Amino acid sequence: MARQVPLLLASLAAIFLIAPMAIIVPMSFSKAISFEFPPPGYWTGYYAQYFSSHSWLEATANSFIIAFASMALTLIAALPAAFGFVRYRFHGKSMLNLVMMLPIIVPAVVSALGYYSFLSPLRLVGTHAGMIVAHSVLSIPVAFLVVAAALKGFDRNLERAAMSAGAGPLRTFLWVTLPVLRPAILVGALFAFLHSFNEAVVAIFIAGRDASTLPKKMFESIRLESDPVIAVVSTLLTGAVLLGVLISLLFRQRPPRGERYAA
Amino acid sequence: MQAGLRRGLPSRDGLTAWLLVAPAVLCITVLFIVPIGYVLLLSVTDPTVSLDHYRRFFTVPLYANVMVNTFRTSLIVTLACLALGYPLAYVMARRNDAVAVVFLVAVGLSFWTGFVVRTYAWLIILGNKGPLAATYALAGWGKPPQLLFTSFSSTLGMTHVLLPYMVLALYGVMRKIDPSYMRAAEGLGARPFGAFRLVFLPLSLPGIVNGCVLVFTMCLGFYITPILLGTPKDMMISQLISQQIEDLLAWGFASAIAVVLLACTLVLLAVYNRFAGLDRLWG
Repeated sequence: MARQVPLLLASLAAIFLIAPMAIIVPMSFSKAISFEFPPPGYWTGYYAQYFSSHSWLEATANSFIIAFASMALTLIAALPAAFGFVRYRFHGKSMLNLVMMLPIIVPAVVSALGYYSFLSPLRLVGTHAGMIVAHSVLSIPVAFLVVAAALKGFDRNLERAAMSAGAGPLRTFLWVTLPVLRPAILVGALFAFLHSFNEAVVAIFIAGRDASTLPKKMFESIRLESDPVIAVVSTLLTGAVLLGVLISLLFRQRPPRGERYAA
Repeated sequence: MQAGLRRGLPSRDGLTAWLLVAPAVLCITVLFIVPIGYVLLLSVTDPTVSLDHYRRFFTVPLYANVMVNTFRTSLIVTLACLALGYPLAYVMARRNDAVAVVFLVAVGLSFWTGFVVRTYAWLIILGNKGPLAATYALAGWGKPPQLLFTSFSSTLGMTHVLLPYMVLALYGVMRKIDPSYMRAAEGLGARPFGAFRLVFLPLSLPGIVNGCVLVFTMCLGFYITPILLGTPKDMMISQLISQQIEDLLAWGFASAIAVVLLACTLVLLAVYNRFAGLDRLWG
């Protein structure tokens, strides 16, 4: 009986995590105009409203454009940096390593204020370019951490074997190093994408009307009016994330020594 | 930096390393540290050059209350996350069956769903037409107490939003604890709880520290949830910043508050860095 106590407590915590998000799903089919649960009736009218609303669709498109562009820029900066930090020793390394972490250390509201003051004189507030710049930099540590962790576990004998078999440095990198690291790079890219896609605070300060993303539009809709479309967007986003999590589970490697953990 | 470059030059390796890290370091310096510098600058120049904003922040009792409330709320949220997250991470790390997978999906789903969506869920639950109010009406207890827009709802919401960070920090450390240690302890006569207390708990301590530091520092400056669920009566720092900008357009004072928030965060992480090394925080 006492053995079941951890499981019971863990289940309560898991319910606490999931139940609130599960409530959003029936809400999205509700006929109520404001937050009302249980819903007085069900329909799909607010889904139709979302798919015909110019401003919601524009925010959705902006979210994707900004997340994709910043993901690409983030990778260009973070990938070489991961190699530099993991494989080389150089002067000032530990200090620069802290610099690399700054974007996830500084509270978002401080970065948001900074970007607003910094981008205003450049006339980049309320533009896609401004958002892409800010989100790219904010995601650098995220992608960097993922790739650097994989590089630390990389068996360099693979490269030595390729070299001794006659491959040059470039060929070794393209045919051995990169393929081994591909999963980590993909995960790093996904993390960078989601970091931008979910980011709300900097967006609230600098996205303006034209570059408004979904989190920003949702935040403002919640504060100003209780637009029932928010429940629809929330359901769609949660559904997309659930799909992603389930797919990543399918590709998950079995943990090493897995059987020994089955207590 | 200049000295480092010069000293790095003679060896080819040093130069390669610098070329590899330069794009990221330059990006962060020009496009992140400089903007933060603007906040610092604004805090002492807007509207006039002076330290008045800081003097005001540290002398007016209202702002001292905001600081106390911010630290107290962060502490409560951190402890609540630890209490909820520890058993969850423990079960996830010790089992290798369907239950562990279900919990992993629950944590992953929460981790990757945005803060705004998850905060919105609490607006529905605690709202005066929400399931809680419906339960009260059904049970014949009349109107439920006002829960939404109180420091309670804000604390509850932040606990919910930050819990996955705690669980993942704990899980990362617990998964590396070899289960044979526990079996050895039990084989030597320890009771299950004794084996846990004497073997597992001490080994999981780094995870507890990581999770607490992560959640506490995130909570200090948390913006979305306190603003959507909290009350101006018990403000946290982020609410004060938002109020100064939106209601009063006081950018200089808001910047000064942001600098204080940044300083608090950096001091906490510097202490952590001194003892553990910042690299380990994100496992």
